[in-house]
Amino acid sequence: MPPKPLSEELIHREHMARFPQRWSTGPVMGKFLKALRDEKRIMANVCPRCGRSQVPPREVCAVCRVAATQFEEVGPAGTLRNFDVVYYASPDPVTGQSREVPYATAYVELDGAKGGATFWHELHETDMTKLRRGLRVRAVFEEDGKRTGAITDIKYFEIIEGEA
Amino acid sequence: MPPRVAICAVAQSKYVRDRWQDRVQGMCWEVVQHVVRATGVDLAGEDVGAVVSNSDDFFDCRTISDSAITDVVGAHFKCEEKVAQDGAQAVYYGYANVASGSSDVVLVAGHSKESQVGDRNLITHAAFDPFYTRPVGLDYLAAAALQADAFLRRFGITDADLARLVCQQRAKAARNPLANERTPLSPADVAASPMLADPLREAYVYPPSDGAVAMILASEDRARHLTDKPVWITGLGSSIDSFFLGDRDLSESASLRQAAGRAYRMANIGQPRTAFDVCELSDPYAHQLPLWAWQLGLTEDPRQWLSGDLARFNPSGGSLAGTPQVVSGLARTAEAVLQLRNEAGERQIPGAKRALAHGTTGPAGQQHCVVVLET
Amino acid sequence: MPRKTRPVAIVGVGQTRHSSHREDVNQPELIHEAVRRAIDDAGVSLDDIDAVVTGNMEMFEGTHQPDMWQVLGNGAWGKPCLRVSTGGTTGATVFGAADNLVASGLHDVVLAIGFEKQQEGHTTGGITAMADPLWARHLQTGALTGMAALEVIDEFGHERARRAAMRYRVIMDQHAAKNPNAHRRFNLSFDMIDDLMQKSPPLVGELRLIHMCSQSDGAGAMIFASAERAAAINRRPPVWVQDHVTVHREETLSLSGVPTYDAHGKLETTTQRRAAEILFARNGIARPSEEIDVFEMYDPSAWWGLSWIRDFLLLEGDEHLQMVERGDIAIEGRFPINPSGGVTATNPIGATALLRPLEAALQIRGDAGAHQVPRTVRKALASGFGGTLWTVLMLLSKEKPDA
Repeated sequence: MPPKPLSEELIHREHMARFPQRWSTGPVMGKFLKALRDEKRIMANVCPRCGRSQVPPREVCAVCRVAATQFEEVGPAGTLRNFDVVYYASPDPVTGQSREVPYATAYVELDGAKGGATFWHELHETDMTKLRRGLRVRAVFEEDGKRTGAITDIKYFEIIEGEA
Repeated sequence: MPPRVAICAVAQSKYVRDRWQDRVQGMCWEVVQHVVRATGVDLAGEDVGAVVSNSDDFFDCRTISDSAITDVVGAHFKCEEKVAQDGAQAVYYGYANVASGSSDVVLVAGHSKESQVGDRNLITHAAFDPFYTRPVGLDYLAAAALQADAFLRRFGITDADLARLVCQQRAKAARNPLANERTPLSPADVAASPMLADPLREAYVYPPSDGAVAMILASEDRARHLTDKPVWITGLGSSIDSFFLGDRDLSESASLRQAAGRAYRMANIGQPRTAFDVCELSDPYAHQLPLWAWQLGLTEDPRQWLSGDLARFNPSGGSLAGTPQVVSGLARTAEAVLQLRNEAGERQIPGAKRALAHGTTGPAGQQHCVVVLET
Repeated sequence: MPRKTRPVAIVGVGQTRHSSHREDVNQPELIHEAVRRAIDDAGVSLDDIDAVVTGNMEMFEGTHQPDMWQVLGNGAWGKPCLRVSTGGTTGATVFGAADNLVASGLHDVVLAIGFEKQQEGHTTGGITAMADPLWARHLQTGALTGMAALEVIDEFGHERARRAAMRYRVIMDQHAAKNPNAHRRFNLSFDMIDDLMQKSPPLVGELRLIHMCSQSDGAGAMIFASAERAAAINRRPPVWVQDHVTVHREETLSLSGVPTYDAHGKLETTTQRRAAEILFARNGIARPSEEIDVFEMYDPSAWWGLSWIRDFLLLEGDEHLQMVERGDIAIEGRFPINPSGGVTATNPIGATALLRPLEAALQIRGDAGAHQVPRTVRKALASGFGGTLWTVLMLLSKEKPDA
């Protein structure tokens, strides 16, 4: 984009910086992503001390400060606990892309998750007036052969029609 | 009177070029667990009053890089403050936390994975101002090369002199199981090492490194419960030089002299040349070991120093062996602590009682932090 | 009371006029403006400064280790210079660090600086980069969420909640109108509330453009000193740093509203409430809404500002809504909040959490000019916000705390 014309004395320089990144998943997040890719399963890990789930699983239970080493499957269905209808096209700093607006994001308490843990993902719905807390929703996975071991192997969540 | 402050436990991950097996969280958890076990503190309880973290948003490619490790440092519903400079500054700030009365026990935790970014020079290139110095392509390697050129020329230090130093330091790294690059080097190996930025050969530049360091700092009252070998922080000094390389005499370091002076005054050190049993200095570039040693007052003649007995200088192999630059000063401090606790294994300097640790931030050592430690 | 090793006073403050585009200055020059004003306010020179603490969120401006370049304008040359950075709470962490450095005895006079040039980067993108790249960065929309609004609406009803949030916003704007340094002033009045509720473009859910904080270029600086140096400097009445508390939260953003529990099975509260509980308990403050004279709250949106009144003042039920509905939080009200206009008016993120105690200090000194609260301010509260819903809570005092 050409710099906006300013008063003659001011110099204005534009610059786009790019930093290629290779992030490690580590064994815990790695297990979660592999389960998405290979088995279409959502894995949470469970704290051995307080029993709460974390999904996606993380190395340590933040509350107890101990490693959470047990894994349990949760979902793929769950209850919508909170949601956002986004009207502002926020750019993804990794891809530079923005979604078409409006779109919805959701915190889902997946069936089987303990201790109030919720999972954050996109909620696919064109009629935003349908959205309310307490709705039943389910994960929709990417097709076989197209899942890569990324969070987007779950394409989105959708409302389960007919379930209150 | 502020309370005396001791380092009660330290832990370092083994430094490697690529810790692909773990996220930063896993790498950091390893060292935090170690110091928690060593001191018996309960991270879930009230034992630790605050966390001082040490990481860099650009190297982590994560805004608020400390939020990534909140869980593993036990900061859920606790205080955590990130020092966004070299890790020796985290020792300095950790000390201030305790000495201020704010917290009796502080966990200091630093991490960095240089393997994450394709080329670390891209990151340090972004440290230059967008108008004058970034467009000409400067990064910390080029800045260090300019400094090396000025310094080596001033004292007539040759490529062969530097090669000999590197071989000596690499031999020390071979005795340090935590060091990154441990293969011994011969002068022929060094001569064959490609020039990255004249006069800096690849062998004179630290390898890209991944690692984490944790420490527990405590007031005197608490320290005695946490360890039977407290290492006291008796001197701290830091200073920052001007930004544009042309405003500085790169063959010396005014800010390091200032930082050293402050640390020595606080520690009551009159004669630095004979004061320290061990010196762990941050030397990501080989020429910086003699340069820092000279400006710290540890020698009057850096060229002569090179042919002396260097046993007590960076017995760990130093940052040159491969410590991520973000945590370098924290790692050097950890090594100094191990020496004073007589836990440095094969690299132990016998009978070490007082040590100097050092860290640096910015191009060609713009900023320095000096730490004096004693048993 | 905290067992601070020695008392610490604020002896000078300075800030820039905050603006959407300060293209006439680069980073060091912007900082220099605030530093120059703080130095002049204290009546000292750079020689009197023993150390500098600075902070900002460098992903916004895209300069790595910016404190290296900023030495050209921040006065740190030849001095110890610490950089701390904790996201939105950065300015408050800078405040806490300066306090710790002086209390520790390491330095007698410390200059604290917070700044940001939001317009040099993409604010929302820069904030989104805080999210985990593997599972959250594709989803986060910077600091924008409508979930806070949803919580208030669910609890108090669609009409009442939205009206109270908008009323809060109008009051903040009326305060900003009196603050010559504030960035945005829209000349809002209460009769515009219905219109704003309908017409302000929604960003996310019921979070509308008008509710949301500013994106500003600006800097703030404060000078901290030991009691002895404060007595010698003494150009303006010293303001005492009585206490500060920092409470972080785990890595995941907890906006679901689902109750969670701590290791003892106790219901987890917000960091705002926890910080308030700790701060008031250890300073013997039993009724904060009566014993605190003014509160500069870091309110990233009108919804959060409204909601957190209850948490920070340890209130229950709808007391916080009532306070807003009655106008208690206005400058001339019973419990003034953000006489400066707060964060919805002005938000250079690295400075914002430092501007809160800075403005609180002006209130204690009686120096806030047109936005001065019309009462003697003995105790002022200031808060910082950022990260994954972290809080820093600061207590400033007109009287020197007992050692």
